[in-house]
Amino acid sequence: MKVQPSAFIQEKRPLLLRLRDALCAEFSYASVLAEDTVGKNYRVSRHSVSVGEGDTARGFVVKALDKGRYAEYSFNELTEDAIPDVVDAVKKLLEQDVRPAGLTANTYAPPPEEPTVFSGATDYETDPASMSDGDILARLTALRDKGLAMDGAVLDLIAQMTWQRYTKLFLSREKDMTQSVMFTTGAVAAAAMQDQQVKQSYVPCSGLGGMELMGAMEENVAPCVQTVLDLLHSESMIPGEYECICSPETTGMIVHEAFGHGVEMDMFVKDRAQAPQYLGKYVASPLVTMHDGACSADQTATYFFDDEGVLAHDTVIIDKGVLKTGISDLQSALTLGTEPTGNGRRESFARKAYTRMTNTWFEPGTDKLEDMIASVKYGMYLECPSSGMEDPKNWGIQCMVNIAREIRDGKLTGRIFSPVVLTGYVPDLLKSITAMSDRAELSGTGFCGKGHKEWVKVSDGGPCIKATIRLG
Amino acid sequence: MEKIISALHGLGVEQYVITERHTDSLEAFYVKKSLDLTRRADTTVRTVQVFRPFEKDGQKMLGDSEVTLRPGMSDGEIRAALEGAWFAAQFVANPWYPLPAGVQEPFRADEGGFGGKPLAESMKVMTQALFAADTAQDVFLNSAEVFMRRNVTRIVTSQGADVRWEQYDVWGEYVCQCPAPQDVETYHQFNYRQPETEVLTADVAHALEMTRARAQAVKAPATGTYALVLDREQMAELLSYYVSRSNSAMIYQKYSPFRLGDPVQGESVSGDALTMGLRATAPYTGFGAPMADRPLLEKGVLRTIHGGARFGHYLGVEPTGNYRAVTVPTGDAPLEALTAEPCLYAVSFSDFQMDPLSGHFGGELRLGFLYENGTVTPVTGGSVNGSILDGQGHMTFSKERFRVMNYDGPLAVRIEGVQVAGV
Repeated sequence: MKVQPSAFIQEKRPLLLRLRDALCAEFSYASVLAEDTVGKNYRVSRHSVSVGEGDTARGFVVKALDKGRYAEYSFNELTEDAIPDVVDAVKKLLEQDVRPAGLTANTYAPPPEEPTVFSGATDYETDPASMSDGDILARLTALRDKGLAMDGAVLDLIAQMTWQRYTKLFLSREKDMTQSVMFTTGAVAAAAMQDQQVKQSYVPCSGLGGMELMGAMEENVAPCVQTVLDLLHSESMIPGEYECICSPETTGMIVHEAFGHGVEMDMFVKDRAQAPQYLGKYVASPLVTMHDGACSADQTATYFFDDEGVLAHDTVIIDKGVLKTGISDLQSALTLGTEPTGNGRRESFARKAYTRMTNTWFEPGTDKLEDMIASVKYGMYLECPSSGMEDPKNWGIQCMVNIAREIRDGKLTGRIFSPVVLTGYVPDLLKSITAMSDRAELSGTGFCGKGHKEWVKVSDGGPCIKATIRLG
Repeated sequence: MEKIISALHGLGVEQYVITERHTDSLEAFYVKKSLDLTRRADTTVRTVQVFRPFEKDGQKMLGDSEVTLRPGMSDGEIRAALEGAWFAAQFVANPWYPLPAGVQEPFRADEGGFGGKPLAESMKVMTQALFAADTAQDVFLNSAEVFMRRNVTRIVTSQGADVRWEQYDVWGEYVCQCPAPQDVETYHQFNYRQPETEVLTADVAHALEMTRARAQAVKAPATGTYALVLDREQMAELLSYYVSRSNSAMIYQKYSPFRLGDPVQGESVSGDALTMGLRATAPYTGFGAPMADRPLLEKGVLRTIHGGARFGHYLGVEPTGNYRAVTVPTGDAPLEALTAEPCLYAVSFSDFQMDPLSGHFGGELRLGFLYENGTVTPVTGGSVNGSILDGQGHMTFSKERFRVMNYDGPLAVRIEGVQVAGV
């Protein structure tokens, strides 16, 4: 079934068209983005139950260009009478000079626009509205109870699930675009105490669609509990450089944090990235082909057009090891003289659009995971990534993973190290890849920040990779 | 507000918290010294948390659920949203707890330095301060974002609260770049409730100087165990361990072993005994009760378990509200004393993190200074992976002070025996 558009957006559409016309009459370029995001999250742990809304938003943002300068105004109340007030607010912003003496201002030409009328919606199987809150909490409670019953050492078992559905309407002089999207994420997490340290494991699941995802969560409980029990015997990492096999989610974090942020082209505009110097050059092993794009995969960052009215792309960033292009929002593309790639995203209507990743992943290779592990004389299997941080300027890597499993003479020994920090120089790591497994998996439970803010939903992943990595 | 309360009463909801927040934000985005975009966000959001008492298996329960009401919602939409939350609350089977009483007080205007001034005027002042130290050719501000905000919050509860207050703040980020001898950058954030122009300019000057030093750093430290010196933003992150572990939710759920009166810094403290205070950053709690500064640790001993109503009741401690800011007395040692013996002074990380559950802290080193054999060598790369459980007994705090929104305390700390993965 297709996700139905928001009744609120449909009701406001005539008003928004009039607002668009009023803005276009006043400014050389103007656009209107309306957003209605609804959702719910459910969480059950040993001592707590909660039902909340998650990240919901309903409002509007207008962007206008006058005398070469851009301004934006975000608001969440719109009536017929308020249209002149919105136009005046934007005018005032464009006229108001917030700069102290000595600072200049950038100027832009209006973006070229092709006439575009679009309406699209993603699919789902089970509508969240068809399940009561009680049913959902009961299923999560059953998962919790199953996990807690598995071993008395389990301090807590958390089962959580979130669905989100949004409709966005984008209007400009030439564009009239509507999309409705729904995605769902879930996770089971286990905790156990070792001395004064709480060890945690986490198994996520995610996808476009509705509550059909719940079925996938049950099989995650046992491995999640087993992992946290394993962690009770973990040791501190012995710093050094290791042959490593990365799980698909660890590959995803490397793809996203280590390389993806470095090809966000608003960083090119600011001279904050090394990537422009490497276009057309090898930056990775010839085994590596990397994609980003809202239509490159069906995951939580899938959409039909971005928050600037640019249709979604499937961008091949690295092709067989060679850096081909970056990803871009509209304003950066205007500056650089390039094509926007449908990556202009906002945290919500209330925030600025930046170049942001969507679904970011490596293509699979041809190797079998068991052969990859068998090929390691001494190294680590890395899994359960927890966080990472970008460094586009210097291509440094910081990824935190929860588990490194020792491999000796091609076999997992059962010895575990935790926590582990991955560091190094991105091209060195990517060029050291010597094998890629034959199956790619994407995960979309996480959010991505720009610096330390502007959180948007993303997915990332790929196959298992074999590479040489510095661990600490 | 009256419409919401009436709808709640119509549904039979007797216990609720309504929070209304109006935000007016003026935002400026700079690339180098050129304004790239000006934004304004003018939004109002109302959230309603409903509480539903019920019994389950003979035990008294109190379920809750929260819903957001947007401007422009019809009466029917408001009622449907509240009905949805009321319905969901009956399945939220948490043991009963009393909701804290609130107070009724007149509107509290922000009487600080930003109070009553147009956002654009304050924006200019703070932007001037931000760029004031950006005067060199070899190192400069690559880009910056400045957000000047006025928030007005109102809380109305079924337990008697009706309070409304105003808070201004400025926050933002800036990136420093030094193109030679190697092209490097560093990332920084700021957030102030007062027009702290001198503090901001001094922090930018320091950041530019450290970026210049990073351009000179070419090698990672050798792998090994070091005395580690941390400073500035890393201090707040490091000490957040004690704030997190003394939270009532963490303690009740047994994620934290902390108990009131326990020597939570450890039984054997050979370094500075830690004293910390919790600083209220809003005049009221989420239930509309007055919020006050409180002692957290006194010489390493836990004096306050803090947090919300539910877990506070379960533990039998006073609900305090949620704290995000700490004050820490400065130490006795001048900064030079912390680096007098061999150490790694880690100035900047990709993303320095403290995991309060495990006690591990660390991150990738972007700039450090290696003090050994009478020399100081800038280093970059590699990672720090320490444990506060191992290091907390022998920390030495500087007498110099550092102040940001969520931290006011010693500029730096020296911790012995921290593992570093380098070359």
